[in-house]
Amino acid sequence: MTEIISEDQLLTEFAVREHRSLWLDAWRRLIANRTAILGLVIVAIFLLTAIGAHFFWEYDPAVDLDYNAKLLAPTFVRNEEGDQVHIFGTDKLGRDIFRRVVHGGWNSLRVGIIAVSISLLIGGILGLLAGFFESTHLNGVEQAVLTSLLGLGCGALPAWIANQPFQALLFMLLGLGSALFSTFMAHRQNLRKVLFGVIGMAIGGLLGLLVAPLVGLVCAVVGLGIGIILAKPISGKAFSSFTMRVMDIILSFPSYLLAIAIVAFLGPGLEKGMIAIGFVGIPVYARLARSAVLSVSQKEYVLASQSIGESHGRILFRHIVPNILSPIIVQATMGLADAILSAAALGFLGLGAVPPIPEWGAMLGDSYKYLSSGAWWAVLFPGLAIMFSVLGFNLLGDGLRDALDPKMRL
Amino acid sequence: MGKYILKRLITVIPTLIGVTLIIFLFQRLIPGDPAVAMLGEHASEENVARIREQFGLDKPPFLNRDALVEGDLAGFFDSQYVRYFDRLLHFDLGDSIHRRIPVVDTIKERFPATIELALLAMLIALIVGIPIGILSAARRNSLIDGVTRIGSLIGVSIPIFWLGIMEIMFFSVMLKWLPSGGRLSPGMTIEPVTNLLLLDALLTGNGPGFWDALKHIIMPAIALATIPTAIITRMTRSSMLDVLQEDYIRTASAKGLGERVVLFRHALKNAFLPVITIIGIQIGSLLAGGVLTETIFSWPGIGKWVYDSILGRDYPIVQGVTLLIAVVFLLVNLLVDISYAILDPRISYE
Repeated sequence: MTEIISEDQLLTEFAVREHRSLWLDAWRRLIANRTAILGLVIVAIFLLTAIGAHFFWEYDPAVDLDYNAKLLAPTFVRNEEGDQVHIFGTDKLGRDIFRRVVHGGWNSLRVGIIAVSISLLIGGILGLLAGFFESTHLNGVEQAVLTSLLGLGCGALPAWIANQPFQALLFMLLGLGSALFSTFMAHRQNLRKVLFGVIGMAIGGLLGLLVAPLVGLVCAVVGLGIGIILAKPISGKAFSSFTMRVMDIILSFPSYLLAIAIVAFLGPGLEKGMIAIGFVGIPVYARLARSAVLSVSQKEYVLASQSIGESHGRILFRHIVPNILSPIIVQATMGLADAILSAAALGFLGLGAVPPIPEWGAMLGDSYKYLSSGAWWAVLFPGLAIMFSVLGFNLLGDGLRDALDPKMRL
Repeated sequence: MGKYILKRLITVIPTLIGVTLIIFLFQRLIPGDPAVAMLGEHASEENVARIREQFGLDKPPFLNRDALVEGDLAGFFDSQYVRYFDRLLHFDLGDSIHRRIPVVDTIKERFPATIELALLAMLIALIVGIPIGILSAARRNSLIDGVTRIGSLIGVSIPIFWLGIMEIMFFSVMLKWLPSGGRLSPGMTIEPVTNLLLLDALLTGNGPGFWDALKHIIMPAIALATIPTAIITRMTRSSMLDVLQEDYIRTASAKGLGERVVLFRHALKNAFLPVITIIGIQIGSLLAGGVLTETIFSWPGIGKWVYDSILGRDYPIVQGVTLLIAVVFLLVNLLVDISYAILDPRISYE
């Protein structure tokens, strides 16, 4: 009935800068960068053709065979006999290389993407926790959980030796007790160690004696050690350094070689390649995430949320994770390039895709034995596909680094 | 200083044990009975039993709890891993399944070829990568810089096995200039001194031998050198760019020193530290990358040998070589850390 003129409406006329999120800003910087655009286009082409081919271009590698069309050079026009056009030529089984390269993309890229997802997920979470607890004290619940788990894990050894699973549970309770009564005799650590050591020795020794005298002796010694370890509840720093030590062990293998060795023992196959490459990549992301967390964990906004008593989970996921995403995104993009290369290397060595499944590396490995016949096309095109897809991800990663972190721009 | 080195040495020990543990666990990855997997499906019962006995596969993997129940404390520790570790301490990596010779003997025979290839590749990477990186940083945003940046990105993107194949295609199959594989032409001999053929030929003054060995090694060395060259170039460039922004560089230029003096005497010295780390890491990748390069060029080093062993399912060889490379990798990293501390007085030894 009456016109209501909202005063708020008038207020919005204020000249404010159009709201842009960090990500939109980054996107603008990204598309202003010519090499990044190139990378983006290359990646898009590979992803779209691979997905398109998988779903809309039927291909059954098992029946693709034509000895009459063996090792034909690339042709662009139909010849007089009306033969098929093979723009990339054919391989030693008469298969159209163009078709196999396009379909191979599905397998090669999939291995890369899944492998990176595995390493990112496991490594990222480990690194996140390691970085966070490096500088933050564990709260009571976390300490209780971790110390009980430590008790359970260590207790598994005497429990296994004596074949008495409940021993592990007792050691878990010992760990829990240590965390719950962490202030008990806190100023007399040595006495506390003796006390817990004796309890551990009693658990292991007495239960072990029920099996055999020697079992009792060994379990008592092991129990003593576990008790001493459990006497001091786990500190965040101990958790962090243990995690990173394990990561260092994996990192002490050249990644290529470790992946090759794992698959050599697992046996060939695309899935096993994914697992091997993913496993090898875990420490890379763990280290990256840890150092990224360390770099923000003393920032004011984290300290502020700690001081108002926000929960650890909330601090981690609301305040820390969003602020360390950029280096991780950059590394994941570059990591994709590496994973595709490793997958191709495995395929080339005959440890990836099982023939006749098309996969770029395996195609190269298949064809290079026929090099002396002069069939250059059979090795050129799968190799170019690997190189360009890897280059695309590398260019994109470089561009993302510039776009997401303008300070780091060199 | 000595204390720092000692401390660093001690931290290597748990890592080394972890490495042996991972390599030992490889065996557990083999689906089914490892003894059958080693011998093939059609192996006779006695052969399987003999292999089980020989490798201790009839023992439990880590600890023998049954022995303990029977009151045998020594038997408690008689397990596959303990035996494996004990053999390692005696430099015994086991025997090849097919050829029945100790893995260590073949490593001694084949490792020099791998080292020679890796050293030459590293030499190429340093000679090419460092000057280009310096030039690119000094002429930032010029055409040279652009080409370097794109070139180094392409360098890390090329699959080295493909590059090797294309080299063979072009220089051996089409042009017939260079041999496609091997270390020396048949009939050519070089007196062994260090077992690095190029060096031996030089030491013994064997001109034709040197030329022949060079013709064989040059293609695999270039293929192997691509990735380290690209990485060293990038690292040198970005490290130089960092240093060139420092005040003392501006001071040096301001007081009228020539560009060359500023670049090489003032900047390079300080920009070199991160490059050293990268070089250390790359040595490990060079040894590992040898598996691909050596396979393509039939280079008689440990990489090709591992490849053949994987195909032949000769697991002790794969385990042994993986361990060797991991240990070399660890030691190189240790050396890098120590040299870092020596070169950069700002790093405290604590």
